[in-house]
Amino acid sequence: MRSLVLLSVATALLVFSGCSSKEPVVDTNAQEVQAPVVQEVEVVETEVVSVDDSMVDAQSNAMSMSDIENQLPAIYFAFDKFDVDAKMQEKISAAAAMGKGEASSYSVKLEGNCDEWGSDEYNFALGLKRADAVKKALVAEGIDASRVSMVSYGESNPVCSDKTQECWSKNRRVNFKLLP
Amino acid sequence: MKIIFSLFMLISLSFASDATIEVIKKVDSLPSLAVEDASVSYNDTYKMQFFKSLIADLNVISLFNVDRHYRTASYDDSSVVVENKDMNYVLRYSMIKGDNGALSVVLKLINADKEVFSKSYKVSNDKLFMFVSHAIAYDVNEFMGEPSVEWMKRKVIFSRIVAPQKSEIVIADYTLAYQHVIISGGFNVFPKWANRAQNSFYYTSLDGLTPTLKHVDVAKSKVTSVLSSDGMMICSDVSDDGKTLLLTMAKDGQPDIYTYNTTTQKYKRETFYGGIDVNAQFMNRDTIVFISSRLGYPNVFSKKLNTNQIEQRVYYGRSNSACSAHGEYIVYKSRETSNAFSDNTFNLHLISTKTDFIRRLTAVGVNEFPRFSRDGDAIIFIKNYKSQSSIGIIRLNHNKNYLFPLKYGKLQSMDW
Repeated sequence: MRSLVLLSVATALLVFSGCSSKEPVVDTNAQEVQAPVVQEVEVVETEVVSVDDSMVDAQSNAMSMSDIENQLPAIYFAFDKFDVDAKMQEKISAAAAMGKGEASSYSVKLEGNCDEWGSDEYNFALGLKRADAVKKALVAEGIDASRVSMVSYGESNPVCSDKTQECWSKNRRVNFKLLP
Repeated sequence: MKIIFSLFMLISLSFASDATIEVIKKVDSLPSLAVEDASVSYNDTYKMQFFKSLIADLNVISLFNVDRHYRTASYDDSSVVVENKDMNYVLRYSMIKGDNGALSVVLKLINADKEVFSKSYKVSNDKLFMFVSHAIAYDVNEFMGEPSVEWMKRKVIFSRIVAPQKSEIVIADYTLAYQHVIISGGFNVFPKWANRAQNSFYYTSLDGLTPTLKHVDVAKSKVTSVLSSDGMMICSDVSDDGKTLLLTMAKDGQPDIYTYNTTTQKYKRETFYGGIDVNAQFMNRDTIVFISSRLGYPNVFSKKLNTNQIEQRVYYGRSNSACSAHGEYIVYKSRETSNAFSDNTFNLHLISTKTDFIRRLTAVGVNEFPRFSRDGDAIIFIKNYKSQSSIGIIRLNHNKNYLFPLKYGKLQSMDW
């Protein structure tokens, strides 16, 4: 019986196999290293861009998604709190203005984060309530709620890992992530 | 005077089996036990690894004063080695290397020069030696006639944060000596065993657009998506029969507790409070405990399923943000300091719903994620202290805590 239990542990860990590349990689214990077979690779395809096509319209001021994203602020919160203070409200108003302007064609994912004090569900919920507070403020500024989605990363997505007050306050934040 | 005395005796006796009352240190009264290695196979490093693992396990069963000296003997010697002659018990074992990397162990327990117990063990891979050592400790405990330490043989599943938004899900033994990364790559958190047999589990994937609960069948190596929810999606607990899940979902940014029937694949909202309701755990088939911010700070409440009866369960502590229940007992995490500017201490406390006693189970650091063993004999938890993550085991009836550190990364959550 005992050896059966141990055997089943071993078997369970052996049989796992991989998934598609988008799925998390599931490790398999059975490792057989095979020598790579030398193959001739195909000729690299090339494409010639005509002079006309290569001209980029210099007049266009359209910013890329990542450029806009970099301009969007991070919204910071007080310890154990999820209400938006006046200073952060200004930042949200600025973000909402961008949402109606240059970012109007994108959706946004609000990522709620917490400091390191706890990895439990409550901390995740706190991160989410922070994201939700920002969402409500954006909607109040006239952003369509259907363009805003939310996720909480709890304490698992720190921008700073020092044991200082400044560091912890940097981690108690909501980030804007643009989606096409 | 007589009446007062008998009243006192009556009260003491009536609380005698209450786990919230601390057990006085009884180290001196424990019998002594020495361990003798009689192995011929294997090198010194391996022998020492096994010896250390066995000593740790024998300590955790909390029945002996275990001698930590490594001594060798011949397996068939009729008497114990001279240094161990005053020991109450001597455990002698021999490891034998088998075919294809298998490991066999024979052992005998000697008491007053007589063999009182013997048994042999075998694993197919000698890297799994720690499971043999756990099994030995389990059997010695059974032989001594103590309440079962079944939990010692169970597997722990945990998620480990290795970088921002990067994590691994790992299956381990309870001491973390054996670790197998079962899911790597991506951002996956909150693993939870799906059944008693521990051959499948749930976890939350945070890689997609919305958090998704996934189910992994380990034997069939099959991953399926169960449910998604905007904002938050966590499987907090699984009923004993594996048919009902307690979920935390956040439809419209509102974290609430839901029950999910795995047969009908339908969910039902259980809490309706506008703040935070999370971390639901089965207390019994019909009652759950959970964490709610309905008093303005996180605290422990209970709800009878299929009714609207909600009851506050804990009256001590200003911020109690995680809990687990077993029968009448609730263990919860409480913030002991409230400081935005320096280190905070979070301790675990044990209460009984039948008495007013509160027992503090930990002393320093951030202690969280308490989970009762299925038999209620032990509590497993995560300790983060001075940049070190460990798994802790609390033996409630022995008043002892054991820590097993994680070599790298930070423990995010776990289940056993």
